[in-house]
Amino acid sequence: MATEHVAAHKEHPGPRQYVIIGVILVVITAIEVGLFYIQATPALIVWLLLASSLAKFLLVAGFFMHLRFDDRRFAILFFVPLLIMVALAVALMAMFFSLTR
Amino acid sequence: MYFDTTVDAHRTSTGLNNRKLLIWAFLGSDVLFFGTLIATHLLYRGRSLVGHTEDIFSIPVTSASTFILLMSSLAMVLALSGIQRGNLQTMRFWIAITAIFGSIFVGFQMFEFHEFVQEGLTPRTNLFGSTFFTMTGFHGAHVAIGVLWLWSIFFASFRWSAGERNSLNVEIVGLYWHFVDIVWVVIFGVVYLVGAYGAEDRILPPVSWFGG
Repeated sequence: MATEHVAAHKEHPGPRQYVIIGVILVVITAIEVGLFYIQATPALIVWLLLASSLAKFLLVAGFFMHLRFDDRRFAILFFVPLLIMVALAVALMAMFFSLTR
Repeated sequence: MYFDTTVDAHRTSTGLNNRKLLIWAFLGSDVLFFGTLIATHLLYRGRSLVGHTEDIFSIPVTSASTFILLMSSLAMVLALSGIQRGNLQTMRFWIAITAIFGSIFVGFQMFEFHEFVQEGLTPRTNLFGSTFFTMTGFHGAHVAIGVLWLWSIFFASFRWSAGERNSLNVEIVGLYWHFVDIVWVVIFGVVYLVGAYGAEDRILPPVSWFGG
């Protein structure tokens, strides 16, 4: 029997908020490119680059794809495969590097 | 006026719109697809015995194409905002901008591929070439399909009236487009910037890129 759910839904942001998010994305990208040319500890730069990529990913998914505002099940459909993929990639790389060392 | 496309006008067993559920399921599967391609590229990093690797990247050029793709995502969400407020003209304008920016991105990628081949890096040169061209090639194909989809929405919209059903059509192509954008965010960050960090020639692109 079909059960009626009331999907948790908040109203999407307006054009002004979208433009602000767009500006933030451009600023993060500019910082990333700037970091690339800095002579510093490579490990630090790599972690900063990864963190900035993650920030951009979450901003686009959360605000432009509305995962922050739409039903939570859409987010589950998207992030569960992502977590599986990251876990699989890390495990595969660890195994590959230990076997070929 | 605001069209909410999360909940289906018709009752479904989930209470969610089936078309929207389908595009999210597709994007979930595409996460696995691109995740595999990126992981494979990372796995073989530093294992090419001949030919160019990350030293061939031109970060200024790729940064410009990344900027274009980010701006196309902004245009896409402004198109959706337009139709959700019942303004078809605004939606058409921003959809066209999104498609044009997407085409420019594809142009950048074709230019990059052409230059890499000129420099001697092809999919058959080494492990780096094989995994790089496969990964970015599939991404470029996704962008190209997205551009065609956007133009089809643009032309179809001349027969539309502002309404929930048409708003959903724009939202679905928008979700696909933003997904293509975030895949590039990961590729640019992990493959280009992290990959090329430490390469000796990273300050400037190869001279041949400017006809030298």
